[in-house]
Amino acid sequence: MRSLRGLPVSPGAVDAAVYLYLPDSYEVPAAWPDPPEKAVAELVAALDEVAASFTASATNATGDVADILRAQAAIAADPALRRAAEAAIHAGSHPARALLAAGDTFAATLEQSGNDYLSARAPDVRHICDAAARRLVGISARQPPRPTSPCVIVAADLMPADTATLPTDLVCGIVTAHGSRTSHTSVIARSLGIPAVVGVPGLLKLAESATHIALDGSTGEVVLDPDAATRARITRTRQQRQQQLERLREAAGTGRTTTVDGTHIEVAANVSGAEELAHALDQGAEAVGLLRTELLYRGRREPPSADEQVQMLRSLRELLGERRLLVRTFDIGADKQVPFLPVRPERNPELGLRGLRLARTHPDLLDTQLRAIASVAATGPTAVMAPMVATLDDARWFRSRVEAAAMPAHVEVGVMVEVPALALTADQLSPYVDFVSIGTNDLGQYLFAADRRDEAMAELLDPFAPALLRAVASVCRGMAGEAWIGICGEAASDPAWALLAVGLGVTELSMQAVAIPEVRAALRTVTVEACRAAATRALACASAVEAREIGTSLVKETT
Amino acid sequence: MTSPTRSHREVVVTNASGLHARPAADFAAMAARFDADIHVSKERRNVDGKSVLLLLTLDVRYGDSVSIDAIGPDAARAVEALCELVAS
Repeated sequence: MRSLRGLPVSPGAVDAAVYLYLPDSYEVPAAWPDPPEKAVAELVAALDEVAASFTASATNATGDVADILRAQAAIAADPALRRAAEAAIHAGSHPARALLAAGDTFAATLEQSGNDYLSARAPDVRHICDAAARRLVGISARQPPRPTSPCVIVAADLMPADTATLPTDLVCGIVTAHGSRTSHTSVIARSLGIPAVVGVPGLLKLAESATHIALDGSTGEVVLDPDAATRARITRTRQQRQQQLERLREAAGTGRTTTVDGTHIEVAANVSGAEELAHALDQGAEAVGLLRTELLYRGRREPPSADEQVQMLRSLRELLGERRLLVRTFDIGADKQVPFLPVRPERNPELGLRGLRLARTHPDLLDTQLRAIASVAATGPTAVMAPMVATLDDARWFRSRVEAAAMPAHVEVGVMVEVPALALTADQLSPYVDFVSIGTNDLGQYLFAADRRDEAMAELLDPFAPALLRAVASVCRGMAGEAWIGICGEAASDPAWALLAVGLGVTELSMQAVAIPEVRAALRTVTVEACRAAATRALACASAVEAREIGTSLVKETT
Repeated sequence: MTSPTRSHREVVVTNASGLHARPAADFAAMAARFDADIHVSKERRNVDGKSVLLLLTLDVRYGDSVSIDAIGPDAARAVEALCELVAS
């Protein structure tokens, strides 16, 4: 038995067999027995092969895709990268090891440049060095985990490609050596409801010889080969958590969420695929309030076809039945770049060509997506909305594209409100929309001129900030009676904030699955009138701290 | 054997996207076709002009002034061709 500790990122206690997933740590011998000249020759040959394969793919591709592939081939052919690796080889290193180290150095330089465009090239460098290093040690490309029995996945870290096909019925937990609360592994684990602990130092070496592992995703405790007493304790924790969840679910009720006075407030889920939706419905989601479609576009050399998109939408529709599916058109740009669009260096990508702005420069991409949505819309209630809308003309243009896509008449058309300019002109928006959904994360970032990925800005980005509440109030006042108003930002998952939003006039709240029971339970204990009175007071507060207190006391008073 | 010659020129980059992605790759690929050693410098940082990764780290943007320096038998031709590439 061996106890370790990491960062608790997804709650739940579990104990199961270890599934060691080590796609990165292929065996690379430290030293090279032959003369270094032979190692250099092999290095050059491997990089040339990788460069040639990218160049060959580029010849078969056209336009921007071809350009990207050629740029990647150029990295494989880079003389400075080769020189750095050769120097390490002459110092006695194995060529694969030398190349991975050289690639890491270059990637780190790009990452530390403080320039978003350059940082985004770092994965290209690592990818190319990995591909060549695999050739040098004679192993095949990275494969996703494929467990065949219940297990806890133990890994260095998980990449999007590793989790895309995760058999969620078999994966009881995830423990990784690296990662943070916001890394991919953590986000995916929470959205799938899989208990997880990340950032566990020394994990991989110790797990090599372990067969069983226990973890508590609420405390960060990880135990390798737990003894009987530990297993019993973990089982007790799991049972207690289940009972707690059952009590909460009982308070949350089933079916539609209504306040004490009988007003229906729709509690919906933010999802990006069928697995997440299944979990959200299990938690009591009444609908999908935000389907993120970017995943279909990311890491691909060509955009997804209409057929492919239809297939994805159908899989969600089957689970939803008569419940609403709200699809957000692709939100590409800023931190979410795709290989098939030209990389256009921007001094400040968050303020650049993203969301609907990108769609306006590539209308064919949007039209394909809208056609896919239109062909699935006939099978149930559907809504479609555009991200990053700044002007009335944006909203008008989006509506005209939706109409041109032969969308069935029952489909609701809306826009996200995340740009302050749109929040200020909401009273002029109703001719173009049936609803709006407020993205509080970006709205806060743009309202306060505070980068939401910069931890030093956290205080400014408090969703209870009276300025943010006033922006929401401005939208609600501007659109009252003309269109319904939803929230799809993280703020909606805080019951205290959600009640204030309802007081301002919001009738739909969309959030990650894990928050649904708590928000439903809180809504069922208040009247809209009480929320309204609290919201009025919160708008007049001088600070986020005061406004938060008003919201929190509303939750406390009633539960 | 021809004695090494040196050629040097300052140029303002007028590619819309500076020396990023494809333009950086094009630059490195063209530089590699010459025998001369080629260096590019911007604001006192100097890198190998045949390395796309090092060119990227210079973060050359539209309107930036860079200097291209070549040493070798075909230095003059190299500098001329590369200046034309970035200022076209």
